[in-house]
Amino acid sequence: MVALARKTLVYEWRRFLPAILAVGFAGLLQLLQLALVLGIFGSTSMYITGSSADVWVGYPGTQSVGSGRSIDADVESRILMDPAVTRVEPYIWVDGDWRGPRETGGVSVFVSGIDTATDGMMFSRVLSPALRARLDEPDAIVVDRSALDQLGVGIGQTATINGHQVHVVGIGSGLRALGGVNVLCSLDTARRLDSDAEDVGPTYLVAKLRHPNEARAVARRLRGDQAFGPYTAWSARDFARLSVLYWLFDTGAGAGVLFLAGIVFLVGAVITSQTLIAAVNGSVREYATLNALGVGVAALRRVVLEQAFWVGTLGLLGASVLGIVLMLLARSQDVPVILNVPAALACIILVMGLAAVSGLAAMRSLRRADPATLLR
Amino acid sequence: MHRPASIAVTDQPALRAIGVSKAFVSGHLRTQVLDDLTLDIEAGELTLISGPSGCGKSTLLSILSGLQKIDSGSVQALGSELGQLDLRALERFRLEHTGFVFQGFNLFPALSAFEQVELPLNHMGLTRDEARRRARLSLEEVGLAHRMRLRPAELSGGEKQRVAIARALAKEPQLLFADEPTSALDAANGQMIIDLLHRIAVTHGTTVLCVSHDPRLVMHADRVLAMEDGHILSDRRPAAPAIDSHGTPS
Ligand SMILES: Nc1ncnc2c1ncn2[C@@H]1O[C@H](COP(=O)(O)OP(=O)(O)OP(=O)(O)O)[C@@H](O)[C@H]1O
Ligand SMILES: [Mg+2]
Repeated sequence: MVALARKTLVYEWRRFLPAILAVGFAGLLQLLQLALVLGIFGSTSMYITGSSADVWVGYPGTQSVGSGRSIDADVESRILMDPAVTRVEPYIWVDGDWRGPRETGGVSVFVSGIDTATDGMMFSRVLSPALRARLDEPDAIVVDRSALDQLGVGIGQTATINGHQVHVVGIGSGLRALGGVNVLCSLDTARRLDSDAEDVGPTYLVAKLRHPNEARAVARRLRGDQAFGPYTAWSARDFARLSVLYWLFDTGAGAGVLFLAGIVFLVGAVITSQTLIAAVNGSVREYATLNALGVGVAALRRVVLEQAFWVGTLGLLGASVLGIVLMLLARSQDVPVILNVPAALACIILVMGLAAVSGLAAMRSLRRADPATLLR
Repeated sequence: MHRPASIAVTDQPALRAIGVSKAFVSGHLRTQVLDDLTLDIEAGELTLISGPSGCGKSTLLSILSGLQKIDSGSVQALGSELGQLDLRALERFRLEHTGFVFQGFNLFPALSAFEQVELPLNHMGLTRDEARRRARLSLEEVGLAHRMRLRPAELSGGEKQRVAIARALAKEPQLLFADEPTSALDAANGQMIIDLLHRIAVTHGTTVLCVSHDPRLVMHADRVLAMEDGHILSDRRPAAPAIDSHGTPS
């Protein structure tokens, strides 16, 4: 087969360049906005992804980590009874009001009361063992480096949370929160800081499994029992996704992403289809000649679609290279960007969909390739 | 390539138009281009249609080749009633039986001469080797063996038209239609093209129907039809058609 679509694309690359650029920029824009949004909102699931627990147990209907309610402490024994579970520890979440030594006004903080044992699961991926050990001290807290200015404290200084005095024993990193500041302390300290009389048990129980890949099945199994009052269980992965999605749509960022994706698609498709239509029109007499010689309209359409496919592929390639460079640049500047497989797939689908729609639009102008018009 | 004239049906014409009428309507204006025209085109001949501009030559060609529908009458090509074929079947018919040469060369700028000729063959269900063999043979036949790898931008006008002829010829069609194939060329190149068309009719038994108002071409034709206002005015056969008097093109 003579590769008409490909040869034309190579020979007349100048003509196709605007389409390739439009597709590439559409892909790049989409990629970066997704990576940025995922980077920013990914921090809302840091509590889960930064910990080594496989299953989370909490109050039914909880929509994000930050909106849990206390559950019965006796649930712990029920969970330990499951043969798949090797370890369970409580996790206490307290919303606090921070009063620092300097004039910062009230700052809303998210207090995380965690097991300080060396093999504790909570924040095991972001908290160093040395810092964790220091939390054993009563009323000791650890905060993220990025929050020091906001809190108006330095290491060794004291402040109050919900009226109780605490002192900063260490500074961590990777503990950023969205909409507030994370404060880490021991379970005992957290209980003291909790001013709500209704909170009797822990906010969550997190469990480690013998085989982490069974998390979903174990969570489903644990969900059935209602013996100790209301609670439910999620695999860590599901709960993390739940948290991120809640924030995406609660804040309207998700709608923003979709809106921008729509606009990017539209603008990209207009430019790309116009370019492809111009390319078809430029060869319309040649296409008509082929049709006169008996080459079917379907085969001609395939040529146009193939051109659209190549334009999409080249645009995607350019977007990937530029995207990776820009993401590395962003990372080096501490801009939170995250790209995962579904997001990358979404970009690929958007770009190839854009190319396909443009190709279909360009196919319509093949109707002008009527061989009778060649005879005048 | 030296296929015996496969439609050696001497008693049946290759093309037959019976009572064909065709009018174009644009707005309130109605132009009757062909009016009750009846015509037979014999197989294996070079038939030339000439006449003043706007008399309906190209329209007649497009009707006889199945590119345009008629208002009334009937058209038979190689024994098939064209009016009864749908769009698909017409494409199929053209793929199997017809070649075209137009005034403009209509070559893809991105393809080499060889690829221009090979491309339509790809759609005929031939093997790759057979398609390439035919493409090479017909480019050799039009005298472009040494120009096969060049793109249209690197070819002269006459060479481009010869590529277009090779593209039609490689399909080994029974019917070859040419509309003003020489009008964009100078005298010498035009001469070469008409020689070529005539030779194709003689050696391949192809029915060649050519429209031109170039008087120099008349003596190369087996039969000359003079048209005016949608009618055939005269139908004559020049006494001694010059067969290959100008040698092979190179
Ligand atoms: N698609 C069309 N719509 C309207 N009128 C048409 C159309 N095609 C042809 N005509 C008219 O039909 C008449 C014959 O056209 P045709 O192209 O057959 O002429 P011709 O003999 O080939 O002329 P020329 O030698 O200049 O090429 C012209 O008057 C033209 O205006
Ligand atoms: Mg004409």
